[in-house]
Amino acid sequence: MTKVQRRLIQAVALAVVGLACLSEVFYINVLPNRLVWQHPLARYPPWAYVVVDIVPGSCFVLAGLIAWSLRPRNRVGLLMMGVGVGLLIPAVALSPPLATGIIGEIFLVTFGSVWAVVLIHLVRSFYVVVPLSGLLQWGLLVAHVFPLATAARVIPPACFVVGLGLVVRRWVLGGRARRRSLSPLFWPLVAFTIAFPLYAAIALAGLVSGRSLGSLLVVSPLLFVVALPLGFLIGLLRTGLDMSSVGDLVVRLSDGLAPDQLQPALARALHDPSLEVVYWLPTHAWFADLEGQRVDLPTADSERAASVLGDPAAPVAALLYDSSLVHEGQLVDTAAAAVNLALENARLQVELRAQLEEVRQSRARLVDAADSERRRVERDLHDGAQQQLVTLLLSLQLTKTEALKHRAPATAAMVEANIVALKKALAELRELARGIHPTILTQAGLVPAILALGERCPMRVDVTGDLGDGHLAPQLEAALYFVVAEAITNAVKHSKGRRICVAIGSGSGLATIEVADDGMGGADPSLGSGLRGLSDRVAAVGGRLVVTSDPGIGTSVRAEIPCG
Amino acid sequence: MPDRVLIVDDHTAFRRLAGRLLEEIGREVVGEAGTGKEALSESRRLKPDLVLLDIQLPDLDGFAVATTLTSEPQPPAVLLVSSRDAADYGPRLHGCGALGFITKADLSAESLRALLGA
Repeated sequence: MTKVQRRLIQAVALAVVGLACLSEVFYINVLPNRLVWQHPLARYPPWAYVVVDIVPGSCFVLAGLIAWSLRPRNRVGLLMMGVGVGLLIPAVALSPPLATGIIGEIFLVTFGSVWAVVLIHLVRSFYVVVPLSGLLQWGLLVAHVFPLATAARVIPPACFVVGLGLVVRRWVLGGRARRRSLSPLFWPLVAFTIAFPLYAAIALAGLVSGRSLGSLLVVSPLLFVVALPLGFLIGLLRTGLDMSSVGDLVVRLSDGLAPDQLQPALARALHDPSLEVVYWLPTHAWFADLEGQRVDLPTADSERAASVLGDPAAPVAALLYDSSLVHEGQLVDTAAAAVNLALENARLQVELRAQLEEVRQSRARLVDAADSERRRVERDLHDGAQQQLVTLLLSLQLTKTEALKHRAPATAAMVEANIVALKKALAELRELARGIHPTILTQAGLVPAILALGERCPMRVDVTGDLGDGHLAPQLEAALYFVVAEAITNAVKHSKGRRICVAIGSGSGLATIEVADDGMGGADPSLGSGLRGLSDRVAAVGGRLVVTSDPGIGTSVRAEIPCG
Repeated sequence: MPDRVLIVDDHTAFRRLAGRLLEEIGREVVGEAGTGKEALSESRRLKPDLVLLDIQLPDLDGFAVATTLTSEPQPPAVLLVSSRDAADYGPRLHGCGALGFITKADLSAESLRALLGA
């Protein structure tokens, strides 16, 4: 629409306001006695006619003029003027050419309720996401096609009530962002809905007969009616104010904003606490959150909406927000443009995190596979070689018994020597199997396994603490067990100390184990491949290993593993 | 002195040799079982004085079998055996109602006599 056309429409709307005012004056001054019965407020003073007939429509027209001037591309202002003109039609119908004839009657009957239809369009235009129910769609169609049906004054109020119901429903079910978006209209709409029947009851049914009090009561609901155009205007102007919060966002970006602060900053700028920023991962071809976890975009019929930023073929990121923000697309786009560079930076970090997460999972799978293999080898040793050696040992025991029975002590002694050698071999085999995978760990858990380690250790080992509620996941227990086993072995081999303390603890989602000796210290953790391997193993389950070894103080190996 | 013995182990060779060792010290082997479930049914049927019970069985855990057997009326004495040693089982060896534990490598006429009495 050109500027001239806009000015013309604005002039026409203002002319209607002027005509309505003149008609009222004419009606009051020229035809007070002849047509007074036609006006529903006939029994009240003339100023009450004027207020009721002129103020609501004029307010809509003026608010619409302001809104249209401020947002020429937004049709909200135009529709507000349309509602205003519609509300002024009864007053225009009182103008001299129309007031006394059948033409005026037809004019009034035909167009008297058009304002309600335009108001529904206005609400929808303001909140494009308010879906039209089937009933409302049919109502609007009938109202447009058959203006006379509109005049029955049934369909527009019905449409209005249905539309109001949808707004109320969205208010009740919506979150903070949606309520904020609806608030400029919600309360005036509720007030208007209460005020209109009140006006009808008082004015049309003549419930109040006293002239002064009655006039006051008739006029007072108009205050709520006036709030409606003001609500629309405030809603539009607030979008402008919201733009200033995007300006604040730009200032914060220039100060340096960490990727994890982008989402809260955008949520604040767009006044939607539920806003999420998700990043495009080209290697996976899906969006992910800051943690690298996959996130699917909402579907079209969802309560959530998404704006994909960057080239659609190779997006940078997407904003997921409450669908009530859809009508503030310009605001969302402006905020998104402001953070575009920071988002690209954050996206690279997310991509890196996703890759690291993949590496971590891959490493955890490798450790799991190695553990499973260790268990299998230990079981094979137990079921195979160990059982055969045990059977051989029992045979030798029986042979020895037979030899003694037959009084062959020399043979019995030879067999006994074999028994001793075989027992030694069996003990070594058991130790080997235990080193591959400790049975007690799966049989009894971490703490008994550590106690058993302490019992076999040539140095004194004091074990304190426990894991609180019981067992950890098998891979976590295995990681901690091998940390303790390696640390005890190192202490025995190198520390020259006399005592080892093993402290077990858990809390705040962490399982911790510290193995400390009272030896000479001074160990270099980087030189031992055993500790490096353990550090990798602990890292594979998301934990960390800290080794401190000050000369003269002893060595401490501490493992922390998340277990929450 | 427990005289009548039920041997429970999934290895036939072990059952045969252990039976001969027990007979050497004057015990009567009244039956054998290769699984935990068989052990329970044979024990109920044969009413042995002693069950020589391997811990690692193909179906039930030896500790679970020992707990069930010793909680029944007129329970048999249960002697747990394993080719692993006591340190591999830790506290699980206690509290299952067994008379004791011996590794298979330590089984001999002398050790059985010492454990079960002459």
